[in-house]
Amino acid sequence: MANSLGIFVTNPDSVQHIVGVTKAAKAKGIKVKLFFTWSGTKLTKDPAWSELVKLADDVSICADSYKKMGFNVEDVPEGLTTEKMATQAQHGDIIENYDRYMTL
Amino acid sequence: MKILHVYRSEPDSDTKKLVEIVSEGREAAEFKLHEGQVDYDKLVDMVMDADQSICWW
Amino acid sequence: MSKKLFFMYKNADYVVDGMRSALGQAVENNYAFGAVMTDMPALDEHNKENVDWIRDMEGEIYSTVPSVCEQNELTPITLEELGQKLREMEYIIPYGVK
Repeated sequence: MANSLGIFVTNPDSVQHIVGVTKAAKAKGIKVKLFFTWSGTKLTKDPAWSELVKLADDVSICADSYKKMGFNVEDVPEGLTTEKMATQAQHGDIIENYDRYMTL
Repeated sequence: MKILHVYRSEPDSDTKKLVEIVSEGREAAEFKLHEGQVDYDKLVDMVMDADQSICWW
Repeated sequence: MSKKLFFMYKNADYVVDGMRSALGQAVENNYAFGAVMTDMPALDEHNKENVDWIRDMEGEIYSTVPSVCEQNELTPITLEELGQKLREMEYIIPYGVK
């Protein structure tokens, strides 16, 4: 897959950078996938979340992490479907199928 | 092999040492996310241009 | 095709989940390695099993902290050795925060 970027989000502290990078990449026609794990799943409740799910081409979270952060897996975050409440295989998809990689 | 080191905070001595070893004999660039206004346009260009990006804590 | 990944953990709050994440990639047929670079509480049996599972799939969990190696049966590594290992990796993942 040419011209694509996957971002692995492991903490809640970099939201402004995730938005900034995703916006800049999309403006260049780059396909962007975001996968949120561990405390990164707290960003599903961040005011920037709505914008992120609209900007990126593919967004998924680790359902197990979401549960460990105290959320109910039946409370599906805005812009996601139950299929996107997934496992670390989503990180594997970035590694396998995306040209470039960042950890934020 | 072109490496991009992205810093999310001020690198400590461990990070500096690892960056030095990983970069040895390779073309390396760096980008600081923790200093001033971030030029995301430039960052994305650098990430897409590099063979490997490492986003240090 | 299998890729070589190295996770690094600098913050005790992120070690256990970061190891789970490494295991997730081992299960995805990648080669997953990790290094604990901080003091941390003892791993419970479940997480020790995760380390064993990573080893069974040709990965390894190291630590640069001698007491952490001793307490959790992790493989000792120096910062210099860690740097050399990173040079062989396709993905280098400083996990979580400092």
